[in-house]
Amino acid sequence: MSFEMWAEKYRPKSLGAMANQKTIVERLISFVKARNVPHCIFAGPPGTGKTTAALCLARDLYGEGYREHLMELNASDERGINVVRETIKTFARSRSIGEIPFKILILDEADNMTSDAQQALRRTMERYTETCRFIMCANYSGKIIEPIQSRCAPFRFTFLPREEHDNYIKHIAECENVQLLPDGVDAIFEVCGGDLRRGINSLQGAASMNKPVDAKLVYSVAGKASPSDVQKMLTTAINGDFLGARKQLRDMLQKYGVAGVDIIRQVHREIFKTEIPERLKIKLAGITGEVDFRLVEGSDEEVQLSALLAKLVEAGYEMKKLS
Amino acid sequence: MYAAWTVKHKPKSPAEIVGNPSALKTLSDWLQSWSKGIPKKRAAFLYGSPGVGKTVSVEVLARDLHMELVEKNASDYRTEDAINRFAGLASQYSSLFGGQRIVLLDELDGLMGNADKGGVKAITNVVKTARCPVVLIANNAYDPRFRTLRSYCRLIDFKKPIASSIAKRLQHICEREGIQADENALKFLAQRSGGDVRSAVNDLQALAQGKKHLTYKDVSWLAYRDRQESIFNVLRMIVYGRTAYGAKQAVDMADMDLDMLFEWIYENAPAHITDPHDLVQAMDALAMADVYRGRIRASQDWSYLRYVIDFMTAGVALARQNSKVSGWIPFKFPSRIMMLSRSKAQRALLKRIGLKIRRKCHISAARASKEVLPYLRIIFKNNVHMAAGIAKWLDLDEEMVEYIVGTKAKAGKITAFLP
Repeated sequence: MSFEMWAEKYRPKSLGAMANQKTIVERLISFVKARNVPHCIFAGPPGTGKTTAALCLARDLYGEGYREHLMELNASDERGINVVRETIKTFARSRSIGEIPFKILILDEADNMTSDAQQALRRTMERYTETCRFIMCANYSGKIIEPIQSRCAPFRFTFLPREEHDNYIKHIAECENVQLLPDGVDAIFEVCGGDLRRGINSLQGAASMNKPVDAKLVYSVAGKASPSDVQKMLTTAINGDFLGARKQLRDMLQKYGVAGVDIIRQVHREIFKTEIPERLKIKLAGITGEVDFRLVEGSDEEVQLSALLAKLVEAGYEMKKLS
Repeated sequence: MYAAWTVKHKPKSPAEIVGNPSALKTLSDWLQSWSKGIPKKRAAFLYGSPGVGKTVSVEVLARDLHMELVEKNASDYRTEDAINRFAGLASQYSSLFGGQRIVLLDELDGLMGNADKGGVKAITNVVKTARCPVVLIANNAYDPRFRTLRSYCRLIDFKKPIASSIAKRLQHICEREGIQADENALKFLAQRSGGDVRSAVNDLQALAQGKKHLTYKDVSWLAYRDRQESIFNVLRMIVYGRTAYGAKQAVDMADMDLDMLFEWIYENAPAHITDPHDLVQAMDALAMADVYRGRIRASQDWSYLRYVIDFMTAGVALARQNSKVSGWIPFKFPSRIMMLSRSKAQRALLKRIGLKIRRKCHISAARASKEVLPYLRIIFKNNVHMAAGIAKWLDLDEEMVEYIVGTKAKAGKITAFLP
């Protein structure tokens, strides 16, 4: 077994080596052959190869010295307008030395950019098209403003189909001498739903225990990887202890850094398994939807989620009155 | 045994007094001049803000000059009897033991609070004929009622000591208590005291007693404490308010920004509004206030602020329909703010780890801590060799490894493999 993150070690180094997203890869290869790349949007869920495709494209285009012609920025970490005004502009305006007259800027998680920054970016893209091409990677292309979308060639990445996912995972297990049982592969797909980064990380996490990787091991790794004990928090609330439930929520958010949207989605799943009157379930589902929307809009995670907890306290109280 | 540090570590000699060297010298010279006969001004009037060392200066000098100190607080001489007794003390040349006596009248401001005009006049008369040094102490010597009295007194101004002198004193106390204190923690306490040495020492005791080590983190949250008193009244107006208007008024009374007030309400409302239906209403109102805060952020249109206020005050107040006032529940400091400031260092470390991961894994630091870190935790806990390999590959330092693996012992095993 090698001692680095396998998700990186087995990241394809060239477009030809990419096993998935066939139609996309073919078009990208044609860009390389023509030695011309338009501005692109790579949209799709996490772990489907957006960043990999962008890196492979650059490497195939420029060869081994590709780093000199490439800048990788992450909009989640640098999402403000100043990054566009300074970092991006400086990079985009300077001419590239070499046979290909433009450089490539990969803007990862671009849907996290503020709309101001996107507006500023739009002008930069237009002005410096000759010297720089942009590849914007995003989970949702809808969060990228219309004027930018219209300047880019769109590519839709989809979750890996079951077979490709399995082949990939099995290939890595083989190379790393990990004993991977068939139900282990099933479990990895079940847990990760085609998000390859997560799948590989789960495999490595399970393999680190030096045991044959079976379904049980994969599930236990998945459980440890997401410490959010949503079920417990809901039960606390339904039993009437609002302050206790809010404390658990606070711990999840602050101590373990679980994202509010992840919690709300888990809440949504749990509601239907919980013992509350059937009519309340759909009502609560509606409320979860509202909270979900508010979180995406940028409201305070704890405040919004605790309003939902209060509703569960009320539901528990109603139930007690009925029985 | 418990002893207040302001008493336990009270200065014993003039050198130990923080700041005000010239005031101390003036007072000392004036006291000593009594040995050559009664000076022109028979009273010294020390003034200055609380906790700058007025009273303790007199005490220390009395001890230093072997004089007997007869001390009276303002509250003691409100009656005519007390004034007469004071007059009697001041009219004698010396104390029982033959030494010189100082008569101290402390907290004269307190006397003024009782509107006892006759009292000041009586004191003035005593000063005029005093046969031993009289020392008067007040925060503000320039109160109009002291006008006549002032003209018979030597005025000595006590200024607020600078923060670095106070910090030095705190350091001295820590040494005596066997506490190792970070310099910037003491500086923070000193600065926060605003020149009030006594409050700085009190704060130090509250925070450091029983500890071996005092860090900046231990003291920094104090910044929020100061406003606690007034906030309780504001919270009461909101959580127990009966009208929308009354609850909204509370915002003007609160001496803090709206976000902080929101935190106070959000922390405390659920403990006081306990009926489940009321609770839902109250939390919904707070959630709506938060939605409008978000809209302000998004649009930069501050006119929405009025809705934030409506929901967080009136919305919460009028949620109360069936909740009983159950006993006395104290209002609590918003603990999530405390958690945030406490875990600030930890979050900074998390961010640094995230950046290390980002460099290698083409993923934002924010997502790295959510998507990659949980797996690193599992690997680091279960496989020392793989952990060491990854730590080296990501270029993690010992602190980071320790954070990921959870304990120092386990971190040691991993870092042992690192070059």
